[in-house]
Amino acid sequence: MDPDAVAKAFVGHYYNLFDSNRANLAGLYQEGSMLTFEGEKIQGVQSIVGKLTSLPFQQCKHNISTVDCQPSGPAGGMLVFVSGSLQLPGEQHQLKFSQMFHLMPTPAGSYYVFNDIFRLNYA
Amino acid sequence: MDPDIVAKAFVEHYYNTFDASRANLVTLYQETSMMTFEGQKHQGPASIVAKLTGLPFQQCKHAISTVDCQPSGPAGGMIVFVSGMLQLAGEEHHLRFSQLFHLIPTPQGSFFVQNDIFRLNYG
Repeated sequence: MDPDAVAKAFVGHYYNLFDSNRANLAGLYQEGSMLTFEGEKIQGVQSIVGKLTSLPFQQCKHNISTVDCQPSGPAGGMLVFVSGSLQLPGEQHQLKFSQMFHLMPTPAGSYYVFNDIFRLNYA
Repeated sequence: MDPDIVAKAFVEHYYNTFDASRANLVTLYQETSMMTFEGQKHQGPASIVAKLTGLPFQQCKHAISTVDCQPSGPAGGMIVFVSGMLQLAGEEHHLRFSQLFHLIPTPQGSFFVQNDIFRLNYG
């Protein structure tokens, strides 16, 4: 399958899960997974999902502007670089963000997130 | 050596080289290296450096705001996620950008850029 299509499908799936029920993101991380969220480093499924489900908003909507991807090496990994905006209810202005995912293949033919780095883009 | 220190040192070296003489970036890429610059894909040092030296400005200055890094897997690679600003000579407003590097160790104990993704962050 075309890597760009795989990357876009993953990104669509990730943010749909995030925006509907963040706890369900647990299926996309494993014990070795790492998240750096606005400079804070977190490792492992529980800690990562703990961080994401405790962010100070109940609802949100990600709007994706760009998705770039490249293969990361012989292990079959894929780097995905996303930029977009995050709409929080009641907030007039959207927050702009960039996010990097390093996806690793699973034996089942899917991908999980090994590396995840999130940064807001302040004006 | 502390990965965060390695990442910061690399980032400084990369942008100092970019801002002083873009052609010298050629030593940081190898034949398998890939760059996506504002959605445009290039592979290999010659093509990548041709793109960078062909950008429509003579002088520029990168000012780095954030540097995040994570190990990318057992092969010793390192993912570095940068955000910052780019000042072009004669332009009043800075351009904001995000850039992702995937660094792979060389036998000499240094790193080369295997993956490079650059995106401007429009306000």
